[in-house]
This record gives sequence, structure tokens and C-alpha cells, in this order.
Amino acid sequence: MALLGFLIVFPLVVAAVLFAVRNDAVRDAIVVASAVVIGVASVALVALNLGAPGVFFEFSSGIIDIVCTIIGILIAVVILAYAVKYKNLLAGALALVQVALALVFELMFAHGVHVEFGLYFDSLSLLMAFIIGVIGSGICVYALGYMKDFQHHEPEGAKDRRPLFFSLMFIFLSAMFAIVFCNNMVWMFTAWEVTTLCSFLLIGFTKTEEAINNAFRQIVMNLAGGIAFVVALFLAVTQMGTLSFTIFIAEAVSNPAIAVLPVTALAFAGITKAAQMPFQSWLLGAMVAPTPTSALLHSSTMVKAGVFMLVKLAPVFLVSPIPSVMVMLVGGITFLWCSFMAISQSNAKRVLAYSTIANLGLITACAGVGTPEAVWAATFLVLFHAIAKSLLFLCVGTAEHHIGSRDIEDMDLLFDRMPRLARYMMLGIMCMFIAPFGMLIAKWATIVSFVEMGNVILLVILAFGSAATFMFWAKWLGKLSGIAGQPENVELTVHKSEWGSVLLMAVLLVIACVLLPYVSTYIVEPYICYVYGGSGQAVATDNLWIASICVAAVVIVLFAGLGRNKSRRVNVYMAGVSVDNESRSFKNSLSQTSEATARNWYMEDYFGEKRLSPVGVGVCTVIIVAAFAFAIVGVPGLL
Amino acid sequence: MTLISTLIGTLVFAVLAPVLGCLLAGLDRIVSARMQGRVGPPVLQPYYDVRKLLEKEDASVNSVEKTYIICALAFALISGGIFFSGGNLLLCVFMITLSSLFFIVAAYSSRSPYAEIGAHRETLQVMAYEPMVLLFAIAFFVAVGSFDTAAVLNLREPAIASIWLVFLGLLYVLTIKLRKSPFDLSMSHHAHQEIVRGITTEMSGPTLALVEITHWVENVLFLGWIGLFFVWGNPLSIVLALAVMVVVYFLEVFIDNNFARVKWQLMLKSAWIVALVCGTINLAILVF
Repeated sequence: MALLGFLIVFPLVVAAVLFAVRNDAVRDAIVVASAVVIGVASVALVALNLGAPGVFFEFSSGIIDIVCTIIGILIAVVILAYAVKYKNLLAGALALVQVALALVFELMFAHGVHVEFGLYFDSLSLLMAFIIGVIGSGICVYALGYMKDFQHHEPEGAKDRRPLFFSLMFIFLSAMFAIVFCNNMVWMFTAWEVTTLCSFLLIGFTKTEEAINNAFRQIVMNLAGGIAFVVALFLAVTQMGTLSFTIFIAEAVSNPAIAVLPVTALAFAGITKAAQMPFQSWLLGAMVAPTPTSALLHSSTMVKAGVFMLVKLAPVFLVSPIPSVMVMLVGGITFLWCSFMAISQSNAKRVLAYSTIANLGLITACAGVGTPEAVWAATFLVLFHAIAKSLLFLCVGTAEHHIGSRDIEDMDLLFDRMPRLARYMMLGIMCMFIAPFGMLIAKWATIVSFVEMGNVILLVILAFGSAATFMFWAKWLGKLSGIAGQPENVELTVHKSEWGSVLLMAVLLVIACVLLPYVSTYIVEPYICYVYGGSGQAVATDNLWIASICVAAVVIVLFAGLGRNKSRRVNVYMAGVSVDNESRSFKNSLSQTSEATARNWYMEDYFGEKRLSPVGVGVCTVIIVAAFAFAIVGVPGLL
Repeated sequence: MTLISTLIGTLVFAVLAPVLGCLLAGLDRIVSARMQGRVGPPVLQPYYDVRKLLEKEDASVNSVEKTYIICALAFALISGGIFFSGGNLLLCVFMITLSSLFFIVAAYSSRSPYAEIGAHRETLQVMAYEPMVLLFAIAFFVAVGSFDTAAVLNLREPAIASIWLVFLGLLYVLTIKLRKSPFDLSMSHHAHQEIVRGITTEMSGPTLALVEITHWVENVLFLGWIGLFFVWGNPLSIVLALAVMVVVYFLEVFIDNNFARVKWQLMLKSAWIVALVCGTINLAILVF
């Protein structure tokens, strides 16, 4: 328990210290040291408790309850201050509603309910702790170098706001740890709101008009989720008489009828945080923030809190059709639609964003299905998505600073200009969409779980979504792989801290893929056994080994095999005499120099955002409204 | 156990599939020639062609293209090994997709505008056929009760009896997978409907030979998928499956010689509509 408390409190202390530090060298030292401490502590926690079932700690504290109330009020005050400053009525109103509800709840209802076991962990929390502790703090280290370049690009005399930036990052980590370790739902709710506020401030960090608008979009959507969370808390107390998350889930499983509305509300909170349609736009808007923020939001924190909540609720979905159908359909449609829209994007960060939302959709759909196999797949997706996506964000961030663009078309020749970085990026991309890497193994398990449920709609969605996924990743991968002789190598000036973090993610990725069967046995299966009492591994261990051997082969080819061929070099065929392979210029039939150009396909007419987005948003809104309508009608004594 | 059988299967497949595929390609050329009113080359002509390519100088536009092509061939062989040793059909589908990806990346790496156009089109072709192929694997699982291809040997009646609609859908996208006209967008062996040479523009000599061999191996594997529908507990069913495979290949050659290349829009739309209709209806019938 000391370790849990340490993981929650220590990042807060670091955040406080970083807020005061203005010197670059001191900040570097503190961030690296505390990232190592957090990483080691979370790895130690996982290693010491490998395969543990649920472990609960008797811990309740009136002081923490009061602190939570104060934090809640502070959050509301901060949001209100911003809402007044930027004249955003909706955000202010929602913040007021939420804080009023939360105060009424905490002062009048929650008082009588005592949660004996305030803290806990099980294998799912451990997995999340690993993701937050290792990947999250790795991103913090990466941010050191990135933010130096960022500050460098700022106009002369701009205020150095990096202390705020770094303390927000560490507060974020602390809040995430609190979400996965707190069994007391009020504490969990407070941490949930802290992540909302932190990402609001991080998205609006650059204070441009676009950033502020997008930050407000984020806060409005997530406050709506927060209000649903408070409603769920009310119902948990009044109908089920508990605020312990574990007891809440157990009660909901054994008596689904009374739990329909609170579970639907909690699922709604998860859906907003996981940026599922119709709320996908906040995560897309979050792209204006500095890249480490995007990496943090997308891979290890924020959105993962949303899917963590949904995966936790999976056993309830198995017995409760209304929230289950809502979560399944919203997740499935989001997966399909966002995979389609990713095809039409040429901005690398937007492609990553759409792919994040799509994968979260798949996780959401799996959670909605709720069988052991589906939860196995969802857990795998969470792990591999976190590693691969952070690797990709870090690579794109570094590339952006060195080639001056985040457009995929400008990444032409990256294999020549940044040979190491391009290989890491290719590794990350391959892990996202192609067998035998982790994500595809998870998708395989997803197929099996959907087949066993006989869920034709989700199967068809999965088949088409996967095809679209192939399209948008393969064309990016192809763009990266182009080679034309020896252009200048521009990656020599990349910061050491950036290389360190990128390497960490790449190594984690390879290890996790190669040791796939062990990841299943020691990390994922214990949680399934603990919750369902049986195995959820839908893919035979032998097949996992075949996949892991193939991964090893591909990695060796990528990092050791490429570029060894010593055959004679010839020019590319250009329908004329080649002049320069790099610019693809050639002498045409009139002896003038022509340049050939080629762009990837984006198929705007078919998969454009303008065309598809309203449809997805509309359908998902209808589904959610319908689910709430059914859930409310079903509440005993309400009508 | 599966590991060893997959390894043996891959080795055996690596020896037999190129031979069978080569003969198949030879027959393809003779039959095509007869349909066009020509005599055609000897049946071993594809073998002579590849042998000659292998003897040519190893020249290339960059240092990585050949490595990617070797990977494409290797994973095609593994995919076939998994399939014919009775392994997991879904894994087989995934591996052959990986093989296609390496082929696409090889073309992209050359940065030739012509090869890039071919690579774009090949990517589009993968996107066009992938839903149907995945639904084929899923429907197979529902009909047979296992993803393992070996499971068909325990059946009382062939899978075609319950998933004939999926069979028709697969037949439709098979033309895309075999790169036969009208769906030979990424590279065509009909010179009159090609921009330079599509995806293989910059591949020459031994590299091109490897591409040819990969193509042979793929053809054998895809015909194996067709045959899978017709095998059940009766050993004689294998003869039936072989006969169907021959008929289907003849049909593909016939289509190849009678249709001009279509635009990509038509290919994508029609392949997806076929997948949606055949896949969904058949799955729905099976499940309910």
C-alpha cells in the first residue's frame, strides 16, 4: 500500500517542485530522476505482484474526503475563471452545474456512506500502472528536449511557461494513478476531474485562438461526462447504498435491473473521456497542443482512463443489455468511421488522432461485448496501443522539429534524411496494423470473441474497418520508405532525451511483441481469471509463438537487414534521361528538365471528414440518447 | 506441436508450391493463347523466363528493394505452410497480407512515379478485397467450428453447403487477388492496358524473378482456399476439390481474357458491395 500511496503522492510533490524551478539544467535533472523513480516504482509494483488477484487495502480518511471536495471546488473555480475570461458561457454553466451537484452529493449523500477499502489493485490496475509509470514518465523525459526546441521557436521575449507545463504533466500522472488505484468512487471522481482540467490547460497551453477554442471544446464535452459521473454516484448511493467501486460492480452484476441507469451514466462518462463519437472532436482538437501533450493524452493517460472505466464495467455489460448495446455500437461505429476518415488525412498528427479514436472504439466495443475473450482482447489493445502510439507521437514530434512539417507528404525521403528515426516510425506503424505484431493479435482475439457472441454487425464492421486501417497505414509506411541516394542527414541534432524516450518505447514494443505469450499468461490472464474465473485467451499459445517469431524476424530485417544489398545502382526510369533521383527530375523529349511528382491518395470524395463525420456523430448521438431513454424508463419507481 | 507442423509445412510448401505454381502459370499462358487464337509457348516457359531473370545482373535502384521482396516471398511461404499444414486460417490470411505489404513497400522504396502509382493501386486492391477475405475466414469458423483448416477433415458435409454465398463472394475478389483483368490495376500482364509496368517498374533481374515466384506461390495458396470449401471427411473429396480448383482457375483465365481493366472506383465499390451482401447475409443465416 505504501507503494500505491507513493505513486499517487510523489508525482504531486515533483509537480510542486517543478512549478518553482526556472533553470533548464535543474529541471532536466529533476524530471529525469523522478521519471526514473516513478518508472522503477511502477515496475517494482508490477513485478512484486505479478499475477495477483484483487488486493484491497483498508483505508479511509475523512481528511482525503475533505481534500477531494476542496479540489472539486478549485477545479470549478479555475474553469469558471477561464470561462469568464474567454466569455464561454457553456463551459461556465456546466462547471457550475457540476460543482453544485458534487457539493450537494458530498455534503448530503456521501456522508453516511463509508468505504472501508479505499485503495486496491488488481492485474488490470497493475497493467495500467505500468503504462502510466513507464510510458507516461518516458514522455515527460521526451518533453524536456522537445520543449527546449519549442521555446526556441517562440517569439523573442515570450514568457517561459515551461514550469507550468511540466508540473501539469506530473499532476496528470498522479491523477491517473489515483484513478486506477482508488476503490472509493468519490476519490476516483476527483482524480477523473483533475485529468479533465489538466488536459484543458495543456491543450490551451499555446494560448492561440485555435488552442483556446479546442480546449473549451474538450472541457465542455468532458464536463458533460463528469456530470454523468456525479449522477452515477447519486444513484449508487440511493439505489445500491455503496460508493465502493468493487462492490458497485458486484452488485450491478448480481442485480442488473437496479444498476441500468448508473452503469449507463458511468459508461457515458467513459465514452466522453475515450473520445468516442459524437465526442471525437475534442481529441482531434487536442492536436494543437505541443506533441508531448498529444502523446500523453493519446497513449498513457486521459483516453486510457475512459477505456479503463469501460473495461472495468465489462462484466456488467455482459448481463445488462441496455448499456452493453450502447457501448458496443458506439465503439463499433467509431472504429469504422474514424478508420475511414483517417484515409483522407495527410497531417500525420491527425492520422494518429483518428487511429487512436478508432482503436479506442475497438476497445470500447470489446468492453461492451463483455465476455472473457473480449476483455482479453481489450486489455491487449490497451497495452499495445499505448506503447505503439507513444512511439509514433514521439517520432512525429521529433521529425516535425527537424523537417519543419507534420505533413505526411513532406516525410518523403525520411528514410534517407533521418534513417534511425524513420525505422522507429516504421516499427511503430507496423505494430499498429499488421500481423504478427501485437495490435493484430488483439484484433484476432476480438474477431474470435465477436464470432462466439454471434455478433454479425460487429464482425462486418471489423472486416471493413480493418481494410481501411490497412490503406491509411500502408501509404504512410510507403512514403517513409522511399530512398534516393544520400541527402543530408538531419537527425544528428536530435536531443539525447528524445532519443532515450524513443528508444525506450521501441524496446518496450519489441519486447512486448516477442514475449507475447508471457504477456498473456502473466499480465492479462490473471485479471480475466480474477473477474470471470476462467481463461479468456482465444488465440492458441502456439500461434502466439509463431507470431512472436515472425515479429523477431521483421525487426531484425528492419534494423539490421535493410541497406546491406551491394548490387549495382541504376537510375529510376523516368521516360527520359534521369537528372536527379532525389528531386525526380529528368530530361524530357524537348531536352528540357522536367520534374515528376507523385502524391498519395486521400480519396476526399469518398472518405472526407465533411462527408462522413456528421453521419457518425448523428448515429452515435441517437444511440446514446436512446440508451438513456430506455435506462430511465427502466428505473423502478421513477415513472 | 503447431510450431513443428507449421515449420515442416512451410518447408514442404516452399519446395512444392513454386513447382505447381510454375506449371499453373505455363498452362495459364497456353490456355490464354488458345483463347486468343494463338498456339502459345511451351508449358515450361515461365520457368525458362525466371531462370533467365535469375542469371541477369543484380542491378537495382536502391539497397533495400530486394530485401523487401525476399520478405514478401518468405511470408507468402509461411502463410502457405500454415494453411496446408492444417493451421489457423486467420493467421494464414494475416501472413499473406504482411507479404502484400512488403511488396507494396518495396515499390514505394524505389520512389519511381510509375512504381508509386502501382503501389497506390495495390494498396487500394488490398483494401478492396480484405473485407471479403476476413469474412471468408470468419464464416469458415462459424461453419466448421474452428479456424484450423485441418478441421475440415472431420466434417460430414463440405463447408460449401452452408457458406456457398461466401464462396461466391470470395470468387469475386479472387480476381483481384490473382491480379487478373479487369482488376489488374496495380500491374497487368496485358501490355495494352498498363502505365509503364505498374508496381514492378523498378524491379529487374533476380528481384523480378523473386516477384514471379511469389506470384506463383500466392496462386497456389489462393486456389487452396477455394479447394477448402469442398473438402470433408471423405478422402475422395480431395479429388473433387482439385477439380473445382482447375475449373475456377480456368474461369479466372477466361475472365482475364474477356474483360478490359476497370477504374478503381468500380473495383472498390463492387468488391465492398459483394463483401457486404454475401458476407453479411451468409453470416446472418449461419448465426440465426
